[in-house]
Amino acid sequence: MQPAAMLLKQVIRHSVFPFSVQRGMKKDLFPLRRTLILSPCLKEDSSRSPSEKVDLDAWKEVMKSGSQEGSETASEREELPTLAAAREILEMWRLAGRPVPEKVSDEQLKTFMECPSKSAKKKYMKYLHLKELYKKNDKRKTDERRERRLEMQERASNAEEPKRNPFMCLWASSMDRIYSWRVAQAMVFGQPLVFDMSYEKDMSVREVANTVRQIVLSEGCNRRSVDPFHIHFCNLKEDSLYHKEFVKHYREAWGKLLVTVTEQCYTDIFPKDKLIYLTADSPKVMKTFDHDKVYIVGSMVDKSIKTGVSLAQAKRLGLETAALPLEKYLLWSSGAKNLTLDQMMHILLTLKDTGDWKKALEFVPKRKYCGFVNKPVHELKKSLNLINVLKLGKRQEELQKRFAKNYSKKLTQK
Amino acid sequence: VQPPDRPLQAEEWNRLREGFHSPEIFEEVMLNNMVKYNSSIDVAKSLLTHVAKSNGDIGYNLLLKYLALCVQQGKTSEICDVHDILKIRFKILESGAYNLLIRGLSNSDQWRTALTLLEDVKKVTVPSRTNYESCIKAASRHQEMTLACELYHEMLAMDLVPTLDVLQTLFDYSRGTKDPELQKELFGILLYLRENQIYPHKAFMRSIKLWFESIPGENWRGHLTNITDSGECPVCNHQLEDSELTEEEYNNLRERIIRDVIHGTDTFRKTSPQEFEAFQTFVENRLPFDIVIDGLNVSHIMPRKMQCENLFEAVNCLAKNNARLLVLGRKHMLSNSSNWKREVMKEMQHKADFFFAENISEDDAFLLYATLRSGKHCKFVTRDFLRDHKACLSDSLTRHLFRKWQRGHQIAFSPSAGGKHINFSPALCYDCVVQTTGDTWHIPYKDVFEEKCSYRVPRKWLCLHQK
Repeated sequence: MQPAAMLLKQVIRHSVFPFSVQRGMKKDLFPLRRTLILSPCLKEDSSRSPSEKVDLDAWKEVMKSGSQEGSETASEREELPTLAAAREILEMWRLAGRPVPEKVSDEQLKTFMECPSKSAKKKYMKYLHLKELYKKNDKRKTDERRERRLEMQERASNAEEPKRNPFMCLWASSMDRIYSWRVAQAMVFGQPLVFDMSYEKDMSVREVANTVRQIVLSEGCNRRSVDPFHIHFCNLKEDSLYHKEFVKHYREAWGKLLVTVTEQCYTDIFPKDKLIYLTADSPKVMKTFDHDKVYIVGSMVDKSIKTGVSLAQAKRLGLETAALPLEKYLLWSSGAKNLTLDQMMHILLTLKDTGDWKKALEFVPKRKYCGFVNKPVHELKKSLNLINVLKLGKRQEELQKRFAKNYSKKLTQK
Repeated sequence: VQPPDRPLQAEEWNRLREGFHSPEIFEEVMLNNMVKYNSSIDVAKSLLTHVAKSNGDIGYNLLLKYLALCVQQGKTSEICDVHDILKIRFKILESGAYNLLIRGLSNSDQWRTALTLLEDVKKVTVPSRTNYESCIKAASRHQEMTLACELYHEMLAMDLVPTLDVLQTLFDYSRGTKDPELQKELFGILLYLRENQIYPHKAFMRSIKLWFESIPGENWRGHLTNITDSGECPVCNHQLEDSELTEEEYNNLRERIIRDVIHGTDTFRKTSPQEFEAFQTFVENRLPFDIVIDGLNVSHIMPRKMQCENLFEAVNCLAKNNARLLVLGRKHMLSNSSNWKREVMKEMQHKADFFFAENISEDDAFLLYATLRSGKHCKFVTRDFLRDHKACLSDSLTRHLFRKWQRGHQIAFSPSAGGKHINFSPALCYDCVVQTTGDTWHIPYKDVFEEKCSYRVPRKWLCLHQK
């Protein structure tokens, strides 16, 4: 870390070293050893292994000698306010190799100190650290891209000959216009899709931020689809946390967004018998996508798995509920059955366009399922259980026999 | 990479470093491996010397890893040296270094330094319970029992849960004491076990026994025993406490169950207000019940049989002594299906009261309410451990009450050996906690390997009495 000059400075300062440094030769470190041998610990070492020539405690001397600077800088700032103390602790964390971001703002430092427990503090720092890493990576990538673009431009200008193109190069904005036109159409004639914004009290600040991010993604993919939904943000109160986050994401575009934003509840806008609340806790499973219904998606990210919150909401309002038929079409392996809002949007859009469950459920994250079901689920489950039991080695022989029998049956069927 | 087995020269380290795939973390990885393979500290020293000479400085993380190696091998003088260096170089330390230093020093004759380090930690953050454990053990080892007890109290005041090791140490090093203060302290620990429903393990139990027997002039005798089902100690014929709650505790628990478990943040999550009200009037009109049965839970006992048959058998079995039964179920049990035959359901309704909740409601909450409403004599039947409901209760005191009540009122069941009948194991009529009458102590304990589940109570006891 430190330049060689620094080392030299320290070496010179030290009482034992000057001899060898003056001569400027590395091989002549012997006299140094002779002087250090006075310490009893070293004597012991050298007596044990006479052939060895390493000073085992030399590092201690270096560390102690280099200390003056450290203590000087430390004594400069004497009475430390709490923020600075926290900063120092973080500095030590970093030195110890824990995940800590390089830059911590005062506000983040305050949040850090207000964390109720040690583990919460650690988690928060790790989160900031990762965030910083991602940001840095992004920046690096954009820089690289810019460089590459500049290079390309240079090369293009060298080539001189301007290409003639029948179209003006305005792809992005003209696409935007087409999308907006479609969404505007949807606002008049399209099928409504409701995002229920009444879960702020059930979420932490970070969860609300995540929710809004997911909704922004969903809105984007709705805008780009062939036949968009008419999106409603219901129960969205002015200056709620949701609202603030939305403004943060969309800035001035928030006012021009082609969605319906209302403080009203969906039960006040639509007839009750048309509403279906989508929730993973619902006992009813959706069979087909109904183009005549209004589907409601709860705008909630629940990292702590609060079961039954949106089901409770639907019960309170006396609405019909439905869950996606995940079990029916997918051989579920792990993970919760609740999906992110943008995944829901993709699935619903695909269903609306094609009505094909298999295509729609492609948007369920791959890690959550083993594969699509091509046979009755209970049969697949049986063999899966069997495999699991085999792995665990319970009732092995008997099961192996059964498995072999099934397997041979399968072969003959083919 | 395997660390070398002898100290190396700078050139040799350089060569190794160049051969390593990512040289910038070479030292770190090497020291980590030295800790892992428990290399001699001389090797580590030679590496540090190499680093110091080529960089003029050694990073905090490297020092930390070297310290870990020294602590692992109990090299006290080295630990002290590193401590000095750390103190000179850094204004404050973070918890990793403190943990290592305290652990290392408390095991040596420098243990008092560990105490001052503990003070330093307190200035920055709350010490961990292992920090306290090291210090308390060190103090006890040097017969400073007052100091050890002070540290123990400090720890409790900081809401740290002491490890059983700490408690055991205090008993181990107090043997033969006459000091009344210290005795009071140790009795206090036993009461702490009682209040928090902690069961000592076998080795700890032995320490307690030896301590009792070592009190001069008091003639304590300890015996290991099993308590009979009726709650009598076969050694001293003493009848153990029953698990009844006091009137106040009972009412408190009932209110908290209604508030936290049934209503929670949102009544609609487990039931609905209308349904709960309907259930309340239903219960009020038919009070009191003797046994409340979780119908769906019982019906799954023998998977080969029809579910309604299982339930039918259970109801028949429990109805023998003219007990008033309440069976809780869900509405789907009423629809005539392959598992739920209408005739059998009709037949059962002559023998017991039934309440059918909505299919999406939670019937366990109703089970708790009905049992608690019926009074102290009322028991309930389910195989469920009710842990999720216990978790809904917000404070530990009420959770302890709940566990105590559960131990005394839950009838568990299991299929009999032949699989033809259901066996009911009645609730314990005595309370399984540390208890005393002054001249006797009864202490339940668990074999470390056997009983780890928090819901199962130990069956083995230590009986202590004075001759």
